[in-house]
Formats: sequence, C-alpha cells, structure tokens
Amino acid sequence: MEKNNNAILILIYVTIIKMNFFPTRPVLLMRGEIMGKPVIIMEKVNKAFLPGVRVIDNLSFSVQKGEIIGILGPNGAGKTTTIRLLNGVLYPDTGRISVAGFDPVSAGDEVRKRCGVLTESAGLYEHMTARENLLFFAELYGVAEPVRQAERLLSEFGLADAARKKVGAFSTGMKKRLGIAKALLHDPDVLFLDEPTTGLDPEGSRDLLNYIKELNREYRVTILLATHLLKQVQDLGDRFLFLERGRLLESGTFVELEGKYLREITLQVETGLAVSGDEFAGFPVVKKAPGYLWFRLENKDAVPLLLEKILAVAPVYSAVITGRDLETIYFKIREEKR
Amino acid sequence: MRKRQIRAVIKKDIKAVTSSFQLWLPMLLLPVVFSLLLPCLLILPAYKYDISERSILEVLNNLPPGELRETIFSFASTNQQMVYFSVHYLFAPFLLIIPLMAASVLGAGSFAREKERKTMESLLFAPISAPDLFRAKIFAAFIPAVLLTFFSFLLYGTTVNLAAYRLFGGLIFPRPHWLILLFWVSPALSLGAVFLNVFISARVKGFQEAYQLGAVTVLPLIALIAGQITGVLLLNNTVLWLLGAGLWLLDFFLIRRAGRYLDRNKLFATLAS
Repeated sequence: MEKNNNAILILIYVTIIKMNFFPTRPVLLMRGEIMGKPVIIMEKVNKAFLPGVRVIDNLSFSVQKGEIIGILGPNGAGKTTTIRLLNGVLYPDTGRISVAGFDPVSAGDEVRKRCGVLTESAGLYEHMTARENLLFFAELYGVAEPVRQAERLLSEFGLADAARKKVGAFSTGMKKRLGIAKALLHDPDVLFLDEPTTGLDPEGSRDLLNYIKELNREYRVTILLATHLLKQVQDLGDRFLFLERGRLLESGTFVELEGKYLREITLQVETGLAVSGDEFAGFPVVKKAPGYLWFRLENKDAVPLLLEKILAVAPVYSAVITGRDLETIYFKIREEKR
Repeated sequence: MRKRQIRAVIKKDIKAVTSSFQLWLPMLLLPVVFSLLLPCLLILPAYKYDISERSILEVLNNLPPGELRETIFSFASTNQQMVYFSVHYLFAPFLLIIPLMAASVLGAGSFAREKERKTMESLLFAPISAPDLFRAKIFAAFIPAVLLTFFSFLLYGTTVNLAAYRLFGGLIFPRPHWLILLFWVSPALSLGAVFLNVFISARVKGFQEAYQLGAVTVLPLIALIAGQITGVLLLNNTVLWLLGAGLWLLDFFLIRRAGRYLDRNKLFATLAS
C-alpha cells in the first residue's frame, strides 16, 4: 500500500516537473500590468528633430506581454527612434506612450528598470574587460548579485574564456553577444533589439535568434526587434509592424498579412512537362526553365488541381509555392501603400 | 540604488583616466613644472647670486604692519626676503592652475568621450536619472583634480623646504594660508571649473569641441580669480575664507540649477548620429 502511495507521489512530482509548473524564473505579471492590457502602448505619437520634418508620424500600436514584434522598414523608417521613444531617451512632441504601465517621460527610470536594450553599436567600453563591462552595467541597473549574474551570462554566451580580455580586442560577433548579455543583466520584462544580427556571421545570427526565441518561450519576455533583414525574423515574430518615414504602413501576423497581400501565388513545379504557349490547362505559365515551370494561381486551393492535370500527362518531381515570404509581403505593402 | 549608480559611474570614469597614459601624463607634467622646477629655479640661484627684484622689494616695503611684515623683515638678506615672499605668495596662483587644468581636461572629456565612443546611449538607456549622471560625471572629474592638487602641494612643500633649508637654516613651509588655500579655496575653484566643463561637455558633440569651448570660456574666468589670489593672500586669512565660501555657494547654486537644463532628451540631442 505504501509502495503504491510512493509511486503515485513520484508520478505527480514527475508530471509537475514535465509540465514546467515551476520554471527557473517565475512567470509573474509585471508591475502595472493588468491581465490582457498591452505592455506597450503608443498612441498617435509624433516626433520631429527639425521643425516640420517628422521622424515619427502619428504612430500608434500596442504590444501584448510575451509577444515578439518585428519592427520592419528601410533605413530612416523610424525603427530606432521608436525604441528610443519607448525607453524615454527621446521625448515625443505629441501623443501618449506607456511601457509596463509607466510613462517613459515622467517615469523613465521605472521603464528602463524593466527594459533591456541592445543598440546597434552594442555601446560597450572598449578599454574595459567583458567582465568589467557587465559589472559596471549591473551596478547601474541595481542587479542584486552582480558577480554571479555577470559570470552566468558570460558563460551562457560563450564568453567565459574571454571574460578578462579587453572588449576592444573582441570581434563584432563577440561584442554583439556581450551586448545582449548586458541587455539581459537585470532580467528585463521587455527586450528591445536594434539590428541585433548586424555584423554577425550566419552561425552567430542563427544562435542569437534561437536564444531570443528561447528567452521568449521560457520567460515570456516581450521582444521588439527592429531590423531590415526580413528573412531572419519571419519565423521568429508573432506580429510585424511595417514602418516607412515614421508612419505605420501596416501591421499584423504573417498569416493575416499573407491573406491580405498575397492574393495570387506562384507555384514552382519540377516536371518533365513541356509547355509551348503561356498556359497549361487554363493555368498561366509565368516562367520557364529546363525541367521547371512556374504557374500563377489564384490561391492555394488550385494547387492539387493543377498537379493532377500535370500528372495526367507528365511526371512531377517537386512543387513549391514561391514568393510566400515576408520580403514579398514587405514589397507588396510598400507598393500599395505609397 | 542612486548612490550605487553614482559610485559605479565615478569608479568607471576614474579607471578610464588612470588607464589612459595619454590622459594622465600631461596632467602629471604640471606638478613637475610648477611644484618642482619653478621653486628650484627661484631658490637655488639665491645661494650664489643676488636675486632681488625692485618691484617686489617695493611691494615688501609697502606691506601693512603685522605678522607677515615682521616675519619677512626678520630675515637679514634681501635674497631670503625675496624667496620667502615668492614661495608663499607669488607662486600661489601657479599652484591653483594645476587643479584648473586637470578639471578642464577631465571635465571636457566626461560626456564628450562617451559620445565619441558610442557608449552614451548605453548610459541613457540605463535607469540612472540625468541629474545623477551629471553629478557622477562632476565627481569623477573633481576627485582626480583635487587629488592631483594635494599631490602638487605636497611636492611643492617638500621642494621648497629641501631647497631653502640651508638658506634659512630651517623649514619655511607651510604658512597657515596654504592650508585654507589647499582645503577650502582650491577645491571650490576646481569644482566650479569641473562643473562648467562637464556642462559644456554634455552640450557639445565631441571632446575637441568641449575642450576648446571650455578653454575659451572657462579658463580665462577662473584664471582671473586665481590671478587675484596673491592680492587676497596679502590682505588676511578671513578674506580667503570668505572667497572660498563664495565659490562654494556659487558651485552649489550652479549644480542645483544645472539639472533643469539637462534632461535625457537634451543629452541625446547632442549625440552624433
């Protein structure tokens, strides 16, 4: 009987662990956060550096806790300025901003205590070692156990061996990793990443993006990622904000945007079929190459029908829908909204 | 939390000074010139040559009756009188220039170097208030400037006593006014110079601009005060106490008011884009 009880207790214990009821960092509501209320609110915000030249133009959006938001746009779109406004480093001319329930202008330090920022240049002291940099910023952010936290992050980002080397001797990738470690020193609830993969090699970029994903999944950290490298954020972002000249052109999830902007699709088919004209069985052929044909279809539902028609007369080796990515959506949006 | 942040910025900035050879070497040259070479050049020739200068002797003859006049005329030779008067009164302004120069270099670099090294934004993104950051920058320049002054006075006193020992048959340094100058007037003057240079540094884009602007606007103003010190010293110590008090009050007023003119938005506006 006692053996059975123990077995049940072990089973309950294992279930709790498996279900991650007690994650390493407790998932709590942030101060000022009301369940369902956005963590970030920007409402009709305007900002001009020169009279009459707006860098942020009537910008409104909101972000829920735990979301990963991709802020996309060309250079000069206002991505970095948006991050600065949200952190109270710049003050808006008009409009309302709230981050974690605080106004970044009147309660900027409360906002900054809860936010971590990776700027494009990483903002590290090159005459100091990696460890000294982290310890300095840990003091600024009021980290409870600065040495332990700095060493944990150095090891987590593969910089433990370089901890006592001067940052001036670091590669761009190492500086970026140290910059992220710096942004995470105080366990922020919101993380702002401005062009985080600039200067990183493909492996470094992949590792960093995986880490961001993990951070969001495990700790529900809200992440705003400003970039113009659309391919990198396509799989990462929950929602995307498209900015141009400080204006919000469009926003939405990938599925929403796809449904709205990709009304036609292109299917690339690897086949032995030879088409002499510019259509096959009523489907327009938009491009030809030896062994490949590209068809324009009204929607995904037409794919099985087309493949069925081709298979009736020739073999099909592969079929891929092309142009179904964030980059295509981005250019469509810019084309239509201009 | 605020004290911890201010301390962290001060520590970081002082480390930046001590680890930069180009920064501390010129500052160390000043005490060598003013505290070592200059007194030696005055005192050592007095053992062999007549160094009396008519204009200074006139000043000595016109001294009001009192302790200073009695002390100076208790020395038998004019060379002794010349040396005593020079080391205690004529050189005082030179020694006040040391903290001023240090304050200018350190103050001008405070914010400007952060901007040039692209670390300013990291500071602005941290939860430290702009006035606290400003105060930390002031202390980070003020502390080394004052320490350098103390070192210079110590070097000056040692040089004077060693070089003049045989001439006077004993130690002649310091007189009480040196202590008021060292611990009361000079720190107040340094703080003023640091404040003005840090303020300029916060409002311009780079070190060169800050240093040049500081040199044009701050140095002549402060040097004017320093230049009048000899005259003030000749009056009496009470005037010296009052001068120091006035400077401290002015520093306090300026630092309090500065907070209004420095917020994040303004600090950020000067960042080179």
